[in-house]
Amino acid sequence: MEAIVFIVFLCNMFFSAAYATEIVVNSSVPEYKVSLNKARAIFTMRQRFWPNGKRIKVFTLADNHPHHQMFTKNNLHMFPHQLRRVWDRIVFSGIGQVPMVVSSEEEMLAKVANTPNAIGYLSSEFKNEKVRLFISQ
Amino acid sequence: MKKFDYLFLNKLLVLLFSGVLSAQVLADTWYDDIAVHGFATQDFFHTSDNNVYGESDDGISPGLTEIGLNLSYQPFDRLNLSVQGLYRRAGKVDGGVVRLDYGVADLNLLKFENGQFGIRGGRIKIPFGLYNETRDVAFTNPTIILPQGIYFDRSRSLLVSADGGSLYADYSTEYGDIGFKFNLGMPLGDNEEILSTILGPSASGDFEANPAFATQLNYELNGGEYVFAVSYMNLKLDYKPSANDTLGEGSTKIRPLLFSAQYNGEKFGLTAEYLYRWNHYSDYDAFPDFSFVSESWYVQGSYRFLPSLQGIVRYDTFSSDIDDRSGKRAQASGLPAHMAYAKDWMAGLRWDITSSWMIRAEYHRVHGTAWLAHSDNLDSSATKQDWNLYALQLSYRF
Repeated sequence: MEAIVFIVFLCNMFFSAAYATEIVVNSSVPEYKVSLNKARAIFTMRQRFWPNGKRIKVFTLADNHPHHQMFTKNNLHMFPHQLRRVWDRIVFSGIGQVPMVVSSEEEMLAKVANTPNAIGYLSSEFKNEKVRLFISQ
Repeated sequence: MKKFDYLFLNKLLVLLFSGVLSAQVLADTWYDDIAVHGFATQDFFHTSDNNVYGESDDGISPGLTEIGLNLSYQPFDRLNLSVQGLYRRAGKVDGGVVRLDYGVADLNLLKFENGQFGIRGGRIKIPFGLYNETRDVAFTNPTIILPQGIYFDRSRSLLVSADGGSLYADYSTEYGDIGFKFNLGMPLGDNEEILSTILGPSASGDFEANPAFATQLNYELNGGEYVFAVSYMNLKLDYKPSANDTLGEGSTKIRPLLFSAQYNGEKFGLTAEYLYRWNHYSDYDAFPDFSFVSESWYVQGSYRFLPSLQGIVRYDTFSSDIDDRSGKRAQASGLPAHMAYAKDWMAGLRWDITSSWMIRAEYHRVHGTAWLAHSDNLDSSATKQDWNLYALQLSYRF
């Protein structure tokens, strides 16, 4: 299974820009079809639970990290300042939690691999059996 | 700057840094389900006439300081607990105390594929317009001074948070996201500034707030590229006269309706809000019952020259009575006519030095004094109709 996912990932790498970012999830996350809308709902914290009822744990890089900017534009079709607006409203009005900020892609991979129900994004190829691609369609 | 201010700022810095350090230690060592965030803002003001946030007229006032620290914890998947403490010092209106800004238990009752429904209880921020829920957090505000015709700073304690409960619902569709909030609670408004805003500077009794409701419906497209909202509140204040009061046990009802629209592009941003507010005064004995409508609107444009450098321009206007826009009623009661209105042109520049530090400066050309705080301008007859305001802000967040 992992091998197939990895091949799909390689094809993705080959056919898209050299440093395209991809949304990744912990292997505990149930497989289901996701639209752009769903991906946005998860990263803007509107959707807080997976279909199996578990709370989603979201990880991101800092606002000014080049891969965060790439991810926001390419994978969510948004701008970093739009995400920031949404997250700040949540944090400072006390209505929930926002993504946990990690400092590097290595930390992102480690966090997504070791946190059940986690979601994040990566820009380089990865080898970790606890992490798989979350393909939006 | 007076000696007192230096001493005060020193104390504040020590408080701030110890707060930030201990919070970051907590964030590092505590469990993943706990999140700690905070902010600290210091503002400086100078005005050509009239005072804002202390003695700004012909001087520089460091009169606005805001420090907040919040903590949120998820003991179960469906339950979120969060609290925020806020230290605020604002001219002579707010002497500088730490308050509980919010303390909320949020229970998610129902979740389905495209939405959710839940309840919140405790001290809850009041949803009103685009900025009210985070009005004390500089990073979330477009300018140092929010458009005062809608986000009155002098009567903020009626608007910040209320003790009670709230129902919320969110629904996502292919054509945008819809959100709804209905809050019922006791507003915290009990200070003298509200009394003077509503009954004039000479009222000597006290106001008591009644349970009030606030509701908001919002619609967002493309993850917040376009934002639309309608907010409505229903407030009632009962007046308790003092011993030799000329006013009787009256009450004042205030019902603001606010429409908001915003475009957030990659570089260009455009925001407009329109407020229509019904006011009703009854049973004050000293004058017959009467009603009037207040109105305010603003249009605000912003442009990002660089991702971290943003310029902003806004025009904001307020009339306390749409049937008396020139202030004849104020004049008849011996107050300056310009207390009845305010028109404010502003321009500003914001630089996000890092994701944690921000500095900005702005200039306001104001015509009218409707939103000046009475505590900072005790002699209304000495206030000037046309004045300039310069503001500088430094803010930190984590």
